[in-house]
This record gives sequence, C-alpha cells and structure tokens, in this order.
Amino acid sequence: MTRQRRVAVSSPQTRVALARRRPGYATHPPHLAPADLERARRAYREQLRWALVAVVLLGGLVVGIPLVLVAFPGLDDLRVAGIPASWLAVGVLPYPLLIALSRWQLRKAERIEQEP
Amino acid sequence: MTVGGTGPGPMVVTALVLVVLATLLIGARGIVIRSTSDFLVASRRLSPTVNAAAVSGEYLSAASFLGVAGLVVKDGIGALWYPVGFTAGYVLMLALVAAPMRRTGALTVPDFAQARLGSPGLRRLCAIAVIVIAAMYLVPQFKAAGLLLNLVGGTPYWVGVVVAGAAVSITLALGGMRAATYVQAFQFVLKMVLFTVPAIWLLVHVGAETRSSALTPVEFTTFSRATPVEFRVDTRLTITEPTAVAVDGAAPTTLAPGAYTAVTGSTWTFAAGADVPEVAGAAAPGGEGWSRPLLDPSGAGFPLLATLSVLVATVLGTMGLPHIVVRFHTSADGWGARRTAAITVAMLSAFYLFPAVYGLLGAVLLPELFLSGGTDTVVVALPARVDTGWAGELLTAMLTAGAFAAFLATSLGLLLALSGAVSHDLMSTGSVRRLRFTTLAAAVVVVALALPAAHLDISVLVTSAFAVAASTFCPLLVLGLWWSGLTARGAAVGMVVGLLASAGVIVVGLVIAAPPGIASVLLGQPALWSVPLAFATMVLVSLRGTAPAWASAAMLRLHLDERPERSNRSS
Repeated sequence: MTRQRRVAVSSPQTRVALARRRPGYATHPPHLAPADLERARRAYREQLRWALVAVVLLGGLVVGIPLVLVAFPGLDDLRVAGIPASWLAVGVLPYPLLIALSRWQLRKAERIEQEP
Repeated sequence: MTVGGTGPGPMVVTALVLVVLATLLIGARGIVIRSTSDFLVASRRLSPTVNAAAVSGEYLSAASFLGVAGLVVKDGIGALWYPVGFTAGYVLMLALVAAPMRRTGALTVPDFAQARLGSPGLRRLCAIAVIVIAAMYLVPQFKAAGLLLNLVGGTPYWVGVVVAGAAVSITLALGGMRAATYVQAFQFVLKMVLFTVPAIWLLVHVGAETRSSALTPVEFTTFSRATPVEFRVDTRLTITEPTAVAVDGAAPTTLAPGAYTAVTGSTWTFAAGADVPEVAGAAAPGGEGWSRPLLDPSGAGFPLLATLSVLVATVLGTMGLPHIVVRFHTSADGWGARRTAAITVAMLSAFYLFPAVYGLLGAVLLPELFLSGGTDTVVVALPARVDTGWAGELLTAMLTAGAFAAFLATSLGLLLALSGAVSHDLMSTGSVRRLRFTTLAAAVVVVALALPAAHLDISVLVTSAFAVAASTFCPLLVLGLWWSGLTARGAAVGMVVGLLASAGVIVVGLVIAAPPGIASVLLGQPALWSVPLAFATMVLVSLRGTAPAWASAAMLRLHLDERPERSNRSS
C-alpha cells in the first residue's frame, strides 16, 4: 500500500473535515439571487406550515395514546384476539399511524417543491 | 447461567467468530472502495431505500436488540414506549430536519453550527455535546457486549467488556472505521432476519399454554421449577418464607426469613415451589403495575409523567444522534434525505414489532432474571429455555450473532463520531493518524466507563443519551433551520443550559441515589423540562441580540429545493 492510499482510509466525515479550510463558511456569507430568494421565501412558508401540522399530529399521537390509556384503564381488560387492547395500543397501533403520518408529510413536502 | 448449562456451544462460538470476521472483512473492503472511488459520490447514486436501510442498520443498536425486551421483563408493558419513541423520532426528522439539514452540506452538528451561525466557538461547544452523547450511548453498547459474552461464554462481565473493546479496537486498527452505505444496509437486513426468525420460531414452539399465559400475566411469586440464578453483582435479597436454596452447587439448605446478600458470581438454585425473594428496587414481572401499558420504573408512582418524559427524550433526541446525522449526508439532495427518513420509519416499525414477543415470553419463561438484574439477557437466553437441542442452540447462535453485530455497527459509528469531534472540532489539526489514535483512546475510556455499569439497564442509559441530544441539538437544529433570528450567542447559551440540565442532572442522579417519588422521574429522565428550558433559553437570548444580515438568506437557502436535478424525477 502506498503512502497516498493511506489518506483514503478515512470516513467521508473525516476527509471533508480535513479538506476544509477552517474559517470556512463565515467568510462567505450565503447569497441568493432575487428570484431564488422569492421562491425560497414561498417554499419556506409552505414547508413550515405543513411541518408544524405534522409536528402537532405527531405530538397528538405520542401524547394522546398515553393519555387515553390513563383515562380508560378498562382497556386493560378489553381483549382483541386474546390480547389486551391497551397492550396493542402501545406495541402495535403506533407503528401504522407513524408510517401513515410520515407518508402524508412526505407527500405534502414534495408537492410544495413541485409547484412552479 | 450459561446457555444449556454447559458453557458455550460450538454453534454460538462459530456465530460470534463469523460476525467479527465479517466486520473485519467489511473494514478491508471499505479500504478498497474508498481508495478507488469517492465514497460520497458513489453513495449518491444509491436509492433512498438503500439509504434508509443503512440508517436503520446503524440505528438498531444493542439497546434495540437486547435492551427493549429486557426492560419489558423488568418494568412491564410500558417499556414498549421506548421503541415507539425511537421510531417517531424519524417522523420529526422528516418534517423538520432531513431536507434542510442535507442542503447545509454539513456532515455533523458541529459542522452545521459553523455553517449556519458562523461561530467557531459554538462549533467547539457542539463537539463537547457530541462527546457527551456518544459516550453515554457507547457505555450501554459495551455493557451489552460484556453481558452477551458473559452469558454465552461464562466469562466474567469485565472480561466480556474488555474483549468487546479489543474487538472494536482491532476492527478500527485494521481500517474498518466506517462501513460503506450498502454494508450498513446489509446489516439492517441481517439484524432483521436474525431477530424476527427466532421470534417466530419461539412463538410457534412454546406451545399454546405458554402463549396464553404470556397474555394473562400472573405475578411471579413462586418458582415453578428448580431455578438457578447467577448473580452478576452483589444483590440484597429479602426472604419472607423459609426457602430451600442451594448456593454454588452445595447441598440445599433452608434459609430462614431475613435479609441476605448474594455475592457476585455466586449461583443460587431455588427449589421448585419455593417463594420468590424480594429484591430492593425491582418488582417481580407479571404484577398489577407490570401489565399496565405505562412506564413506572421503580414504582415512583407517576406513570404518565415518566412515559411522556421518555417519549420527549427519544422523539426529539433522534435528530441529534451523531452517528445518524452523518448518514443523511449520503442522500443525493434534500429530496432524497426526506425520502430516506420516511422509509426509515417503515423499516424501524417492522423491526420494533418484535421486542414485545421476547419480552412477553421472557416474563413467563425466565422471570427469575429480574432477581439478578440480568433481564437484558432475556433475548439470548430464551431459545435454550424453550429447546435444549440443536434448534435451541442454533437460535441462540443467531441471536448472539445479531446482538454482537448490532453492538459492533453502532459502536464503530459512534466511536468515529466521538473521535472526529475530538480531533477535528476541538483540536482542529486533525490527521488520519491522530484520528485513529483518538479512536483507540476513546475506546479505552468507554471500556473503563462500562466496567462499573454492569447493573444499569441498557435501554435506560441509551435514553439518557437521547435526553442530552434532545436538550442540546434538537433546539439548535430546529431553530437554526427554521428561525433566522437565532444568534450564535443564543445557541451557545441554550446549549450550555440544555447540557447541564440533561447530562449534569442525570450524572448527579446516578451519583447521589435519586430521592424517591416525583424527583426520581424528573432527575432520571429530565427531558420533559430540560428540552423546553433549552428552547426558551435559545429564543430569549437570541431576541436580546441581533442576527447578522446574512442570516435570513442562510436560512432560506436551506428550504430551496435543488430544482435542476429534480425535473426528470417521478414521485
């Protein structure tokens, strides 16, 4: 193995960190063309709105289920296919809901980027 | 409590050797890949599905593989909230972080801090947080490895930890610093198979009676069979009825009611029908509180608060895990990063349906593990309990290999993130050689920290790491990506407050025995108050200053999609 090859034995993280000169970003403040700036502003507003809706729904999901379980202890005795309903509410139910929520948020976010 | 009672079987040893060899080969392979083509460019051709598998492969650690099921046996059904939080974190990542973070071009949070806020000081502060989070995440991984080798090899715990440390160090020294994307993706498939196949086999083979008693838990009060219990740490037992016990293979004696200490390394064999002794700080599986689907560790009496605190930590902390953030960089653009996060949610959902199987069966078949604080071993110990023949040993070998693979994959990623933070962000004159040295030094420190951690729960420790990430990086990333008013000073003060309120409080809680009641919940899992505190500090301090003029453009740029690249894509 030659000496030059040794340099390559590093993670991408390492090499980018090594390659970059330190003051880096601070000396080159980002700049956007006026047209891009307007487009970015619009995208930002739309993305923020739907991201907040998704966050609220996610919060409702992960806070809501424990609250329901506290409020209705009877769910421990209710059985679905022999399994206590309250166990299913923790062990199974959240996952399809999380998948559905992520699909929905993904579609919303991508649709915003498809707008002209 | 070795599997099958006769030390490691040949299949288990073979499986472990295979995993370590595979990891070494992956390392060697990685050298070839990186020296022939640029890793980043190559990985950008990969689809979001492969990237998502790589994220999942890196994310599913020993805490997921062993810890969750162990906590189900120990704390009850409520422990199933941990994986819900582990998964939900990616929904938040998808909504708030994935795409704009990818567009910063930053590989790590320290990079991000400098890119967005232009402050080298903040970069160093972030590096310190990376070190704290990675160390808190690494210690339980090493604990799991030590436990695993203790279980299958019968070696003392500390030998297991040192051997695991050596395995990681050798892998690092031979160049296996970071597996390429497709190797991590393969890791995910491997872990998925090694976890789900034994679970299904166990469900089929335990029989209808065990299945139904798993669903109708009864408190574990008497031993149903002669049960050997090996104590890994000194344990105080309280015996309430005269109990027949054979200590270390001696003739059985009947112990009078009273308090006893089982010393480290001793094996107590309780006779069938004997009453289960009480252990300070642990509740027997199957009781009233155990079946409630809320977390109430050590019976503090605030299940809702404890559950929500764990959820806040895990959901908000995921985005700040140093070994995960870097994985999103291998997406081609913001579009790909977002898809990667969404697919990861589905992949993790599939995996996390299964810890419950091990936990529920373990509570019925191996409830005595709670006596010795060995519940983290339940996944690996179950097959031998169900089948003493070759099938049981094969499954033990599969699960051991999977757990060790999980330990190796996560540990390597975390160790590299940790040493990257030390040698590049803190000392700033990094070379590959120094990075390698730092990595080995970090491994030694983590092994030293893991040695006294034998009695701590894997998943609880991992959740502490999430709590620190949630209290430091979550506010930094969310505000940095969505609010142009964030100033470097505001971010720095908020990070320090969040770090002290999470890591500081957890360490204090570990050192001084946490006071009982609500204080133990708020000290042990501080995320519920430390995250809002960090957010508020960042906002308030930022409002007192002014963000630089370019801050608005710096923030808006991150929400601008990469238009030319996207035109020929179908969704």
